[in-house]
Amino acid sequence: MGAGHPNPPLPTPPKPQVKALNCPGCGAAIVLRSMGHAETVVCASCHSILDAKDPNLQILQKFQAYTSEIPPMIPLGTRGKLRGTDYEVIGFQRRSITVEGVRYDWHEYVLFNPYKPIRYLTEYQGHWNDISVCKELPVVEFASATYLGERYKHFQSADAATNYVLGEFPWQVRVGEKASVTEYVSPPRVLSSEKTENEVTWSLGEYTYGADIWKAFNLSGSAPEPIGVYENQPSPVHVDVKAIWKAFAAFAILLLVLMAGLDISAHKTVAFDKNYLFTSGDPKAEASFVTDIFDLDGHTSNVRVSTSANVSNSWIYLNYALINQDTGQAWDFGREVSYYYGTDSDGAWNEGSTHDSVVIPSVPAGKYYLRIEPESDARHPSIAYSVEVTRDVTVPGFFGIAFLALLIPAVAITWRSLSFERARWAESDHPPLQLSSSGDND
Amino acid sequence: MTQPVSNCPNCGAKIVFKWSSSVQTVCPYCKSILVRTDVDLQKVGQVADLPPDSSPIQLNTEGIYRNKAFVVIGRILYEYDQGGWNEWHITMNDGTSAWLSDAQNEFAVSFASQAPGLPASNQISVGQRFTWSGQNYTLSVITAAHYRGVEGELPFEYWDKTDVTFADFRTQTGKFATLDYSDEQPALYLGEFVEFDDLKLKNLRSFEGW
Amino acid sequence: MFKKLYLAYGLLVLGGTGYAQHSGWSLDRISQLKNIPKSVRDNPGSYRSIYSGYHHYTGGK
Repeated sequence: MGAGHPNPPLPTPPKPQVKALNCPGCGAAIVLRSMGHAETVVCASCHSILDAKDPNLQILQKFQAYTSEIPPMIPLGTRGKLRGTDYEVIGFQRRSITVEGVRYDWHEYVLFNPYKPIRYLTEYQGHWNDISVCKELPVVEFASATYLGERYKHFQSADAATNYVLGEFPWQVRVGEKASVTEYVSPPRVLSSEKTENEVTWSLGEYTYGADIWKAFNLSGSAPEPIGVYENQPSPVHVDVKAIWKAFAAFAILLLVLMAGLDISAHKTVAFDKNYLFTSGDPKAEASFVTDIFDLDGHTSNVRVSTSANVSNSWIYLNYALINQDTGQAWDFGREVSYYYGTDSDGAWNEGSTHDSVVIPSVPAGKYYLRIEPESDARHPSIAYSVEVTRDVTVPGFFGIAFLALLIPAVAITWRSLSFERARWAESDHPPLQLSSSGDND
Repeated sequence: MTQPVSNCPNCGAKIVFKWSSSVQTVCPYCKSILVRTDVDLQKVGQVADLPPDSSPIQLNTEGIYRNKAFVVIGRILYEYDQGGWNEWHITMNDGTSAWLSDAQNEFAVSFASQAPGLPASNQISVGQRFTWSGQNYTLSVITAAHYRGVEGELPFEYWDKTDVTFADFRTQTGKFATLDYSDEQPALYLGEFVEFDDLKLKNLRSFEGW
Repeated sequence: MFKKLYLAYGLLVLGGTGYAQHSGWSLDRISQLKNIPKSVRDNPGSYRSIYSGYHHYTGGK
């Protein structure tokens, strides 16, 4: 075993670098940025897919390209920072699915970093997704899949075809290649499986806003406005609808408690109560009169004036004024009590009531009297009526208003969330039922 | 731990084995494939230059896996119709041999394991399930690959260019397994996926512009 | 975020309701007048509601 003299230094291997080559078909310049990660590279001039691992760049496929082909929104070679890591766009493709005879195109970008696995960005009508390949296997059930403890609902299954390619790809891409794609959503994430003959690959996408893409890659101008609702687009209402309804329920209970509490603490003191008989007789005689003075006590609160009259297919109208004997302040109002009834072809009917009440707001404590001026139907000259004044009553209307005020935002938020979700699922394999009767569904 | 030292029978360079149980190594100077016999090293073949490849890992890269330091001492570069990947041979600081696979920068560490009832190569299909070491594995990919090149120290002899079938398995918890059908008896490797950052790798290859 | 807003809003609604009830508010629109002279007690017919217009029955059957 001879140790011998020390070994001469080893030649250092060349540092991986960006390569510039020429297309064997048309001579155009080909750039390889992915430091050996690419399997295939596309010559954009002659639309050939070349073998990136072959030093001679053997042509693997030539494809048709339309002049109307939209160029990538993020140019090849652009670098950007996503999730704290720098990536360079090295590849681009347009893929499509055909559903019920309609072709839907989307675009995919291949992102490269020499130390990280390849990432992808997809873009469809202004909606972006940041995608990486899954290492764990999702569990697939009938119409859903579970991944890392999160449940994803089945959204769509379709065959995806590759129509147009540019740049470099870490697999043997071919124009026309097809994969069975199944997507499950749990906004803002989407779980996607791509199945070819030999392989099933699962990937996880996270919805990304165009503005964030533009910022990450320092692109000029602004991102195109998204159209419609995308499968995993997070709901803009950003709210847990259930939580709002829980809050509503709590408020409704509190409102009931408040109502009960205020009702109990309302004094409801009857300050004045008298019966009268009105006889409409001589039009020259003065019908108005004033009541005795009565006390309205306590802090400033409301006053209910109730009128009951035994009107039977007739009416009585009372001009009221509640007048403060000392301050000269008055509250002026007129109330009608009318009641009509009879029978007709539909049966018995009635209209109106023999009772009326009105609540006067914020009346300070003090000595008061009522000035009353009655009028009635001349055909019913004599009507008995009673007037009751109650101090500090509860106004149920406030609680009704409060209940609606609590309910309406909850309903509005729920409705907005539901209509957003309807728009989302309208594009899926499981569209919601059409509400209008004229729509036809398959 | 004494490190065995020999001379390359082809060019005379000093060969130092970093791992005492290495069976095969490649002379870094003349690229001869050398196999250890009881007495000395025997040249069995020659490695053509490895194709330019993309792995950020190289020989002598160091890292940490589950709190144990390891060093990269060898590699097998595989190739198949859809691409290629690297199997880096690593030794932990306790002398255990393991594999760090690098497929497009997706890394997994696995160890040679034993299990009864392994299927033959004509019995496997995508979607099959097996239970090893209390984990449920589902077969996700079958690959027919061949050797493209070797480098450094390996725990077995390998320079055969014929296609070999590999079956890759995944689980719901990030575990990983491979059945290697290089030999008649399938070899099972059990392990898990790891994140590049978690390996805390040092002495990596540097890339121009990165 | 919406939940916090709703909680604050709900508390405002409840607080407002309690305040309205306690202050003696009403849903009815009542005209207020000032300086009704004490002479109205002796002569109710002389009462004229200057601001609200003299109420007279205008509708019904």
